[in-house]
Amino acid sequence: MARQNHYQDRIELMQGTLDMLILRTLQWGSQHGHGIGQAIRAKSEEALQVEHGSLYPALHRLEKRGWLKADWKPSEANRRAKYYRLTAAGKKQLIKEESNWNALVETIARVMKPV
Amino acid sequence: MKWLRWRETRKARERELDEEIEADFALAIQQRLEAGATQEEAEFAARRDFGNVTRIKEVTRDMWGWVRLDGVLQDVRYSLRRLRKTPAFTITAIVTVALGIGATTSMFTLIYAILLKSLAVSNPRELYRLGKEARCCFWPAYSQANEFSLASYDLYTYFRDETKGFSELAAFQAGRPLLGVTRSARAERAQSYPGEFVSGNYFAMFGIRPYAGRMLKGNDDRSNAAPVAVMSYRMWKERYGSDPSVVGSTFDIDQKPFTVVGITPPGFFGDTLSNNPPDFFLPLSSEPSVETEDHLHDTHTAWLDLIGRLRPGANPTTVQAQMRLELKQWLRSHWGEMSANDRANFQNQTLYLQPGGSGISSMRTAYEHWLQILMMASGFVLLIVCANVANLMLLRGMERRRQMSLSMALGAHSLRLVRDALTESILLSLFGGAAGLAVAFAVTKLILHFTFPSPAGMAGVPISASPSFPVLLFAFGVSLITGIAFGIAPAWTATRIDPIEALRGAGRLTHRTGSLSRKVLVVLQAALSLVLLSASGLLTAALHKLEGQDLGFDQDRRILMRIDPSLAGYRLPQLTPLYKRVHEALSNIPGVSGVAQCMYSPMTSADWGEGVWVDGHPAAGPKDDNYANFERVTPGYLDVIGNPLLRGRDISEHDIQTSAHVAVVNEAFTRKFFKNEDPIGKHFGQDGIGSEREFEIVGIAKDTRYSSYNLNHPIGAFYLLPEAQFETDRKTGLPMNDQGAHVLGDVIIVTKPGASLRDAQILEAMGSVDRNLPILSVRTLTEQVADQFRQERLIARLTSLFGVLSLVLSCLGLYGITAYNAARRTGEIAIRMALGANRRTVVLLVLRGAFALISLGLIIGLPLTLAAGRFLSSHLYGMNPYSPIVVSIAIATLAISAFIASLIPALRSSFILPQEALRGE
Repeated sequence: MARQNHYQDRIELMQGTLDMLILRTLQWGSQHGHGIGQAIRAKSEEALQVEHGSLYPALHRLEKRGWLKADWKPSEANRRAKYYRLTAAGKKQLIKEESNWNALVETIARVMKPV
Repeated sequence: MKWLRWRETRKARERELDEEIEADFALAIQQRLEAGATQEEAEFAARRDFGNVTRIKEVTRDMWGWVRLDGVLQDVRYSLRRLRKTPAFTITAIVTVALGIGATTSMFTLIYAILLKSLAVSNPRELYRLGKEARCCFWPAYSQANEFSLASYDLYTYFRDETKGFSELAAFQAGRPLLGVTRSARAERAQSYPGEFVSGNYFAMFGIRPYAGRMLKGNDDRSNAAPVAVMSYRMWKERYGSDPSVVGSTFDIDQKPFTVVGITPPGFFGDTLSNNPPDFFLPLSSEPSVETEDHLHDTHTAWLDLIGRLRPGANPTTVQAQMRLELKQWLRSHWGEMSANDRANFQNQTLYLQPGGSGISSMRTAYEHWLQILMMASGFVLLIVCANVANLMLLRGMERRRQMSLSMALGAHSLRLVRDALTESILLSLFGGAAGLAVAFAVTKLILHFTFPSPAGMAGVPISASPSFPVLLFAFGVSLITGIAFGIAPAWTATRIDPIEALRGAGRLTHRTGSLSRKVLVVLQAALSLVLLSASGLLTAALHKLEGQDLGFDQDRRILMRIDPSLAGYRLPQLTPLYKRVHEALSNIPGVSGVAQCMYSPMTSADWGEGVWVDGHPAAGPKDDNYANFERVTPGYLDVIGNPLLRGRDISEHDIQTSAHVAVVNEAFTRKFFKNEDPIGKHFGQDGIGSEREFEIVGIAKDTRYSSYNLNHPIGAFYLLPEAQFETDRKTGLPMNDQGAHVLGDVIIVTKPGASLRDAQILEAMGSVDRNLPILSVRTLTEQVADQFRQERLIARLTSLFGVLSLVLSCLGLYGITAYNAARRTGEIAIRMALGANRRTVVLLVLRGAFALISLGLIIGLPLTLAAGRFLSSHLYGMNPYSPIVVSIAIATLAISAFIASLIPALRSSFILPQEALRGE
């Protein structure tokens, strides 16, 4: 019971949007997995909580598709961490997903708008 | 190399993933520390944030794509490691599975070979044969009961020329004559081999290419063609050591020269699956010169099987309809030659066209039901095996519970545990299946040896015990299904494990997961065992009844020798003197008290019968049953075979051609044809209306089971005729020149009580008669009779074997669950004992649990048993299929075995020392 209450003020991520959020987050420069999660959470003002169980598979999936590239760099915690950055293909994909998203939002808004 | 590199990359990536997550984890802590949290708080928060790290890694690895194969390999590796750690369990499970799969696979090998396999010919699907039944030898040419299945040569050529739907229509002899063969210009004694007369297009129709030389061709099958023959591969290889000079050389076949023009390919065993496949194929046109009788031009005898290859696009139903029309047209055009009966039956004559890709296969009809019974029995054994192994697996699951709940607590997904359990069971069943193939090979070899013994020097049934591809596929499939079947229950329990259990104390199980399924399995085993035990009991009892029945003749001190005078060139006039010489020579051996000859000795699986017309009775109509079997014998036959004469006299040496023609009939004959009359002195004939005065009845013999057919039915009408008397041809008034009816191949020798006779003495005596007379076999009459029940005996033994196997497995299962439950109740029992329960109470307590299961099994098994009895009823030779005695014995056997199996753990429980057992708590 306690768990359910905990999630009530959060928004469930829509299917497929996590990839777009990751791409977007990396637009500002390379970041490690934890940082990406934190950034999404901060940007959404704590409304979106990305589970690590979804985040890492998503990162590896995007990397496999060639939209992300990973490098090992020293981190703040005195050890090296895996930093992801956008590739050229990733940038194109982000633009594509963004316009798709905007179209979707507009369409849904049109449907939902009071007549 | 590729594999290694792949593994290296894989390992590196896994390390990388570990490091990535560790680094991020460190970062998360770092952040919290910077925000002012204590080290402990930061770590706790980060851990909660990350959640199940093992699981994260697992789903991330899934993204890499090659995880599937890798995961399977990993599962296999883990399972193998676990199995290696518990060799006792592993070996028990594999052996159990091997027995079940071995039994089933062996049955499948036979079913495949006998019921499913096509002939080794090209495109067997295009082949169609005439007739549904497999008939032997000779049938009337103008009317056949139920369907036209055999054709005369005349009808064959008519069909061949008129039916355009066939690209080739071939004919071949339905019987399988033995041919006396010597290679010309070689000093070798004639040996007899099975041969077959086939039409010239036989090999072309089957699409058989020669292994060497050439096959028969259309123009070999002409009356003026040079005589040629084709030899079987087996004959060429075994008898002539693959000598290439065989092709093109001359062989004397029944003393006629034939040139062997080719060798058949190794996989070709002719058109029919049998235990004496032909070694020589001769053109139909040579039949009149080889055989003593000319069937080729005999328009009254149907002796050919037909198989044809349909033209592409031809519809078998259309062709069948067309052939039915052709049959009627042909019959009408032969109206003048048909008898009154034939004409009366004209309307009912029809034919069927059946798929002929698997040949004529009389073995199919003979063995189909038996194989079904055995397949079902072996299937039951396999089910019991599954139940047993499932039980073992569940028990193992119980032991592994702590480990599994620990894995879950550490983050393993429950699906992963299910996969583990299933991998383990499938691995076990595949190992079991591989071992089962060895079991199947041995069992099949044994069955083939006992069921289809090959006559000395002949090819034997062309069924191989070594697994063919379909058999391998079957064994693999069954193993897989078995593995899943016995793996499902343990896998299911794996999903219901609570990680919290790992944290609880040892052996303190909160609920009894799996206990119910184990009980269900034991009940199922008991029920199936009851069915198998009863079935084997019924079959065994029926066999005993069959073997113990009074056949009506004496088997003791009777030796049976089979000879073939035709092969040595004896013809009709020489036969009677030959039999006299044989009689004399054998009678002179010291210790011999009697000798007689006949066509078919009792229980030979061959007989001869005709319609009978009784003098002074209304003639039998086409629908009347006036059939009786007959036997042609030398004087003193009844005495030699020990068949009591009730009235009148036996056939004697005074019955010669010129004296009155006589017959001795049996009681069944009297009952059938002379209801209220005294048959002695009455006359009858066997050649239709007008032949009624042929034989005078001079004696009545006690009913005796001569024929091995229709053992289920009462003994039929039967009469004996003297060998020296020839029937009179009604048209000419001269003696009939029918050699087939006067070749007496079986010699019965009676020895004096206590005397022993060596085969050598018999052979020596026969040598003094004629060195060239082929002696086919010498054995005792008892052996011949026992041979008749060979099939029944094998089925009864195999079913019994399956029954015992199932009993042992079920008892093991019961023992396992009783012991397990007793062990779990150790604490309870100790407390009861501490409170004053005595050992007897404890034993009863444990036994009660076991017996509840068995009783339930029996209750469920009983209706199944009755159903099995019903299924078997046609094979029980008059036994009651619901025999209360057999069922009671089966129940008692099961109950006693179950009692012993559960008594051991019960007694062990009763020796618990309360203070020690409770100390362990």
